[in-house]
Amino acid sequence: MTGYVSEIWRLRYFWTALVRNDLRSRYRRSIIGIGWSLLHPIAMTVVLCAVLCPLFRQPVREYAPFLLSGLTLWGFVMAVVTQGCHCFFQGESYIRQHPAPLAIYPLRTTLGAGFHFLLGLAIAIVFVWIVNGMGNVPALLSLIPTLLLLFLVGWSLAVCMGVANVVFQDSQHLIDVVMQILFYVTPILYKTDRLADRPRLAWFVNLNPFAVLLELVRQPLLYGELPSLRAASLGALTGVLAVAAAALALKHFEKRMIFYL
Amino acid sequence: MSLIQLNDVGLRFRVRRFGRISLKEYLLQGVFRRSKQSTFEVQALENIDLTIAEGDRLGIIGHNGAGKSTLLKLLAGIYPPTAGRRQVHGRISALFDIALGFEQEASGWDNIMYRGYLQGETPRSIRAKMQPIADFSELGDFLNMPVRYYSAGMMVRLAFSIATAIEPEILIIDEVLSAGDMAFQSKARERMQTLMSSARAVIVVSHDLHSLELLCDQVLWLDHGKVRLTGPTKEVIAAYKQQVEEGSQRRAA
Repeated sequence: MTGYVSEIWRLRYFWTALVRNDLRSRYRRSIIGIGWSLLHPIAMTVVLCAVLCPLFRQPVREYAPFLLSGLTLWGFVMAVVTQGCHCFFQGESYIRQHPAPLAIYPLRTTLGAGFHFLLGLAIAIVFVWIVNGMGNVPALLSLIPTLLLLFLVGWSLAVCMGVANVVFQDSQHLIDVVMQILFYVTPILYKTDRLADRPRLAWFVNLNPFAVLLELVRQPLLYGELPSLRAASLGALTGVLAVAAAALALKHFEKRMIFYL
Repeated sequence: MSLIQLNDVGLRFRVRRFGRISLKEYLLQGVFRRSKQSTFEVQALENIDLTIAEGDRLGIIGHNGAGKSTLLKLLAGIYPPTAGRRQVHGRISALFDIALGFEQEASGWDNIMYRGYLQGETPRSIRAKMQPIADFSELGDFLNMPVRYYSAGMMVRLAFSIATAIEPEILIIDEVLSAGDMAFQSKARERMQTLMSSARAVIVVSHDLHSLELLCDQVLWLDHGKVRLTGPTKEVIAAYKQQVEEGSQRRAA
């Protein structure tokens, strides 16, 4: 286990260079470069605000950062899941030539997606800062362990999806459907308190690990409060389960992956 | 002391008749228990015993599909043995499928860096090697271009130059001697000879019996995944040639 992690660390120059290359080639030949990844969540937020603010009767200054943080986090989850499906195929030629820990290929995917997530999060923080003034700094600092948790969950998801898609080729279609459903049962567009008169649905939505992760991000960012103990412990549990699932998948398939590629 | 030891090693592939299986098929088969055999097994290697010691120069010969490349990949740690034991003491550098594995959008220079890092270089150690690698490849300004625009020959040049810019301990080679155009081939051959003389042990697969005679002191003849004969280069190659001739005579008759 420690040997595996130190081997990943030994190859750090390899995967960081690949992540840098991925980010660069994504924005090559575009004038505003990195701006594209800022433009997407902002444009979505503007459009959805215009439509949903009157519908939900929400003030823009409150709803916009709520939406932006939700969409950015969901963008990260979608990226690790859908790109994670292809991570081992993307690294196939390396896998065929050089024995290296398989976890570095989903790590590459996760770090690329994480970069965009951080950009989106930074915009949300700046937006809240401009509109509502400087938030509660200790609460904002709680975002640091949350980011670490998100990174681990994202990496684990990418590992699991990568393995699943190599073993069963239709995993990616299946996961598309699952993610579509999850999008609506996760409080991205709506607040959970709107479900107050539907307690059973609210209970179900609150159980969703992505809802927990969202709360961990939003509570300090939007309301300047530390996340609730319930959210923190459920978040930690999510992290442990995700890492355990990924470790199991790797333990089982690390050596045999080459036979499936 | 032995650097690599294989004890009774076997490798069995499961090949799917219709490509990869889908989750849907898997579940349906599980539910209906129809014993539709959608996979069949290939015994790629069987009962291989092999010891590579300090200073050994081993050649591997055999027909196409005899399992030569598979054996090399197993030695290099890419395939795990499905039977027996594989023990390695030392760092293995392998040269096979060398034209594979470039980042298509990245320039030649960047790809030199990535491959170097994968082979365990650090930014500091790769810096000194970049220029010699570039010089050896003779690609000049093309190195600033994305690899996507390279011809097959250019890719081979680049890959060979990167892969051989190492100080190998145990060197494993799969017929890379036929890389690139004529001028590059003779250069490549020279580079291979220096590499092979500096390595503590060399294992090479080739169809070029003549160069094997020059390079190797031991030869292993692989036939349908099993060791047919192993011993001093001259004897094994003579036996192999005889078998090939007999085969062609039988076909002619």
